[in-house]
Amino acid sequence: MAKFAKLSFKKDELNKELSGFFKGIMENGAVDAVLAPMAQGKKGNRLTLVTSAANIGQIDPFAPIAAVSGAKIASSLTSRPSGRKVAMVLRPCEIRAVVELVKLKQVNLDDVVMIGMDCLGRYENTDFAKFQEQGGTSESFLENAQAGKTAMADCDIIGACKICEFPTADNVDMRLCVIGADEGSVFVEAVTNKGEEALGKSGLKAGGVPAGRGEAVKKLVATRTEARDKKFAEFRAETNTFEALSDKLSACINCYNCRVACPVCYCKECVFITDTFRHTGEQFMMWADKDGMLKMPNDTLFYHLTRITHMSLFCVGCGQCTSACPNDIDLMPLFRTSADKTQARFNYQAGRSVDEEQPMAGFKSDELVEVTGQVK
Amino acid sequence: MAETKPTGTVLVAGAGISGIKAAIELAEAGYKVLLADASTQIGGILAKLDYQFPTDHCGMCRMLPMVGREYASQYCMRKSLFHENIEIMPFTEITSVQGDAGNYKVELLKKARLVDPAVCNEMGECIDVCPVEVADEFNHGLTMRKAIYQAVPHNTPKLLLIDKQACTRCGECVKVCTTNAINLDAQDEAETREVHSIILASGVKLYNTREFEDAKSYTVSPDVVSSLAFERMMSGSGTYKGDVIRRPSDGKPAKNIAWIQCMGSRNRRQKRDYCSSICCMFALKEAVLAKEHGGPDVDTTIFYMDMRTFGKGFQQYRDKAVEEHGVKLIRCRVQGVMLNPDGSLQMRYFDPDTNEFFVKDYDLVVMSTGQIPFETHKKWAELMNASLDSRGLIATEQYSKIKVAGKPGLFICGSLMGLTDVSEAMSSGIAAAGEATSFLTTLGVDTLKEEEIPEPTAREREMPKVAVAVCKCGEKPGAEGIDYEILSKELQGVGAVGEVHVIESICKADGEAATLDILAKTTCNRLLIGACQPLMYRQKLKNVARKAGFHSSLVEVFDLFGIARKGMIEPSTGDWTRRAAREVKADIEKLKYKPALYVKTLPINQTALVVGGGIGGMQAALSLAGKGVPVHLVEKDAHLGGYLGNHVEATVDGMAPMALANDMKLKVFENKNITVHLNSEVEKTVGNLGTFESKLRLKDSDERTYVHHGAVIMATGGHEGATTEYGYGSADSVLTQGALKKGLASGDIDVSGVENVVMIQCVGSRQKGGRPYCSRICCMWAIANALKIKEKNPEARVFILYRDVMSYGFNEQYYTKARAAGIIFMNYNLESKPQMEMVEGKPVVKFMDTVLNTEIELPADLLVLSTGVDPEESNHDLANAFGISLTEDGFLAEADSKWRPIEFQKVGLYLAGTAHSPMPLKSVIMQAEAAAHKAYTYLSGREVHTASVTSMVKDALCIRCQRCVNICPYGARSYNEVDKCITVDAAACQACGMCAVECQNNAAEVTGWSDKQLMAVIDAKLMDDLFSSTVE
Repeated sequence: MAKFAKLSFKKDELNKELSGFFKGIMENGAVDAVLAPMAQGKKGNRLTLVTSAANIGQIDPFAPIAAVSGAKIASSLTSRPSGRKVAMVLRPCEIRAVVELVKLKQVNLDDVVMIGMDCLGRYENTDFAKFQEQGGTSESFLENAQAGKTAMADCDIIGACKICEFPTADNVDMRLCVIGADEGSVFVEAVTNKGEEALGKSGLKAGGVPAGRGEAVKKLVATRTEARDKKFAEFRAETNTFEALSDKLSACINCYNCRVACPVCYCKECVFITDTFRHTGEQFMMWADKDGMLKMPNDTLFYHLTRITHMSLFCVGCGQCTSACPNDIDLMPLFRTSADKTQARFNYQAGRSVDEEQPMAGFKSDELVEVTGQVK
Repeated sequence: MAETKPTGTVLVAGAGISGIKAAIELAEAGYKVLLADASTQIGGILAKLDYQFPTDHCGMCRMLPMVGREYASQYCMRKSLFHENIEIMPFTEITSVQGDAGNYKVELLKKARLVDPAVCNEMGECIDVCPVEVADEFNHGLTMRKAIYQAVPHNTPKLLLIDKQACTRCGECVKVCTTNAINLDAQDEAETREVHSIILASGVKLYNTREFEDAKSYTVSPDVVSSLAFERMMSGSGTYKGDVIRRPSDGKPAKNIAWIQCMGSRNRRQKRDYCSSICCMFALKEAVLAKEHGGPDVDTTIFYMDMRTFGKGFQQYRDKAVEEHGVKLIRCRVQGVMLNPDGSLQMRYFDPDTNEFFVKDYDLVVMSTGQIPFETHKKWAELMNASLDSRGLIATEQYSKIKVAGKPGLFICGSLMGLTDVSEAMSSGIAAAGEATSFLTTLGVDTLKEEEIPEPTAREREMPKVAVAVCKCGEKPGAEGIDYEILSKELQGVGAVGEVHVIESICKADGEAATLDILAKTTCNRLLIGACQPLMYRQKLKNVARKAGFHSSLVEVFDLFGIARKGMIEPSTGDWTRRAAREVKADIEKLKYKPALYVKTLPINQTALVVGGGIGGMQAALSLAGKGVPVHLVEKDAHLGGYLGNHVEATVDGMAPMALANDMKLKVFENKNITVHLNSEVEKTVGNLGTFESKLRLKDSDERTYVHHGAVIMATGGHEGATTEYGYGSADSVLTQGALKKGLASGDIDVSGVENVVMIQCVGSRQKGGRPYCSRICCMWAIANALKIKEKNPEARVFILYRDVMSYGFNEQYYTKARAAGIIFMNYNLESKPQMEMVEGKPVVKFMDTVLNTEIELPADLLVLSTGVDPEESNHDLANAFGISLTEDGFLAEADSKWRPIEFQKVGLYLAGTAHSPMPLKSVIMQAEAAAHKAYTYLSGREVHTASVTSMVKDALCIRCQRCVNICPYGARSYNEVDKCITVDAAACQACGMCAVECQNNAAEVTGWSDKQLMAVIDAKLMDDLFSSTVE
């Protein structure tokens, strides 16, 4: 049975209270380090690896920003493990990506206490700066967002978050629960034995239950699912031909930033920058000869379709691809609509469970017979 | 100076699948094989079958070699076979055999085909003009063919021939043949060959319904067909080209199809008191496929006497056929077929399930026809001067199905042992090759030495320049086919092409000289040849290239003639020169980016590990040790012998397992090549073919021994099953067949006073929640025990309650004997199992008699339970230790239930005996011999050559996600924990490309099949936009 501990805070003291909790788990030896979003000077917020409890003061996990996917950081920290215990405070989408990376042997959770926070969305990097300039804080965001008010003058939380049906995290040891919590309170929930042990060492007293949470989460998921389905329908209608899809991608400059930002694009080196795609001048001329001309750089659509093939089964819909595009192409719906179909075909959901085998990761003599056209 | 020894040569008589398997296995072991078949083609019966259960696919190619694939063809085996060490002689009869063991002189008669396949261009105009039509025997007379014809519709090359009997010598074919391939006066050629050993694999004659009296009451219409004819009716290359199944009489779709089992078999009056063994599964498969082909409204019914599903997975297939496909099974011997006026077929039968008589009409009746072996056996016995046993079959040694009695160096396999299914044909073929190899090693003959032409240095690092040579195949250029002048010019313009040559006929001597000349003079670093039948030519070309100082992997052949031929047949349908140019350009692209490929040489530790010291394990160890291979024999118990060797004194067919085991034990302990590890288990094995290391654990101790070995044979055996049914354990009078057998042998069980003995078969077997499989041996055990009781006490009444009596093959004779001895067989259904009650300390068995349809009560002095055979529990640990898998039932899972029955998916590991499935003693010994041979093929040399095309790892790109390890169907990839990298076992890799497909950034790649090459090929094919034209 899950255990909760209530953390009450006075106005503008949410992060102070949270830092007390993290200080507790570090000082009492539940973990050796904490990876969590922290304020950087006066502006900005980044995941920060803290090994000294004295430096935990700037923790600010609920700041509506995720400049870099935490799943990638989790991979850096654990794929070649340090042997030291670390608590990671990540968003649900980041944790779902972590689940996929565990299966791909890019994350090792042996020494990790995974803490998932409730997520009401994030702003783009540049919009977060505006948010801060306009005096926004994590506390104000949580309050407004729960009331559905995330829009600012000329921006809003990102499109991916608006259609995200996973505001809470699974596959975690602990949760930081804010959805449905009364004003001035956050609940720390211990989910696993590991989590209970950490909670025990944090100095927080177990007790209290976030009574309104279940209902509030359900309502939020329903709203977002509806938005998701609407978005899917719109996007599919907009991209139902190759030409229409090409138009969507017309601003692409083949910089491959979307692939760099994608938490489940885990290759050491993308095939598009290997010799396979390093062509001779003669080759380009040959292609140009076919129609008398060739757009350069070429293979734009090929690149995006390849990426769909490679990662749509693992796509968690975090929206980092859209965030990374320097030319403002909204890639997220492209990958989410594809992922929606590919994952459904295998009755698979990226990030759902560590024990669920990834599709097409094992040899099956009879699979997708209707696609392979295998004849007897 | 070393004496030159002759090369060991074996004649395999019969090129059905067991003969082919024996030939391939001998060839792989390095011996020369003559593979002769009296018919016009190879493949035997299996050439006719598109489907085999349990996969309901074909799969013949799975018997091709897995390691060293360079030396044999690697494509559809129903089309043709090629192996460097095998001389294939179709249409060849053996007319006499002189000499004896180790020194046979064989006279062969090569029948004249009248068409020279080396010259024939397969255009088939000769067939078109031939005025003679006769029934096509390949399709069982259901279709017609010409006097000049292609014997097997899917053969490549087509191998046309002329039917001398039918030919009228009108000469029309000769007139239209442009290559002078036809010689109507060609004569049969006699030839004498010397061989050291002979394997007979001819199969036996099959029952022909037109030939025998007892089929007359059935063959009333052309819609009554044999099971093999039905196979042709379903085949994609058969009578209806894979379309729905139709009645031969009027072509109407056949919706109601019935099978009648045991046609010609199990018939004492006709002196055919045997079961043909394979027909039950054959009929089940056909019934399932008929449903799949014809749709759900096709109704299939099998009329049977006993449904003999005794092999591995057979019972499960039956259950699936009934439950999932709705195949009806009715236990009734139908006495005849009546022809209705509307052409449908009427049958009357009694259904014991409902206890009613029925009269029903069918569109098609299939007769499950079996073997008539005696004629074939007699013929061979006379030719080979071998003796026949009391049944009229070639006599084999007491414990062997393979070795002909009193004739060292002479062996039989396949259906000469009695009709065999594919799996047993494979095992017996390998075992025969093993026995022949054992024999050859005693003669001191040599294996074939590979022609050592060193591979010249590849100039792959230079800018790719491709020389193209296209063969005209003797055809005149012109509007009809390809204009080679235009083609040459077109190709000259391709960037990577250095030079273009047109050769008249590359396959002729001139052509070969021309090729050598091009290779010698060229400034290019790659050569592409457009010719016909690249599959056949590719092997030959390798050596030609090497001789000319060219790296063989940078020379490629492609099928230009295939395109040219289409152009000749349909000249008006497109620009065939342009089409050809497009194809050549695509091949140029593929070759341009091809790296030089190399065959790897892997070291072999010439030692074997045999797990399990039962009769199977001891046989495998002795066989290997006898050929000089050191063996570690690991047994988990304190003594050798296994279940049979420690518990069973005698079997119904006169064998003495305990005596045999004792004899083998002595031989094992005396053999200096065998190290016995008693009380030991394998804890962990690492490594690949040739380089395994196993950790052995001594029972109840911390002692660990490490052994290094090149191959593994798993012979873990099984034991009698346990039960809690029918009051077992509550009284001494309720016992198992095993206990009874032991008690009768020792005299501990006295049957002199007993009145009633009741035996219940299938206790816990062939049912869900128990053993889903048939344990195969229990029926014969029950019959043996029953006969023994009758022998000791003729007054005793013995009742055997059975579901299906599994007396397959010549075991049928013991079933007959038992009934003659007054043993009463009574059938029961799973739905109404017998009930047992103890009345005054005595078991009373109650059950429904299916014939009388009344309940019967039998008080029993002895209630004997056939509790089946269980696999060893230790299989689970062993599966973990070796990284192999188990079947749902806990037996070891072989690579392929039909075609690779004694191999595991991972190369270097083999299995034998009850570890595979319950089987009788002789089969255990045969499998052990086969497993030993598979291991010996690799262990006989210090190294093994891999194929040149295998998958590889680009380590710098690899992220170590290990998905390739998981996806590899052959266990060829593994993650090396020490070096933290992916490794490929090049011997095990079959270059299937699953890893390359799975790996997203091409860190896994199949050499010579890179994405770069393939994308270039696609580009080249798309460059010339021909898709708008009507053809293709």
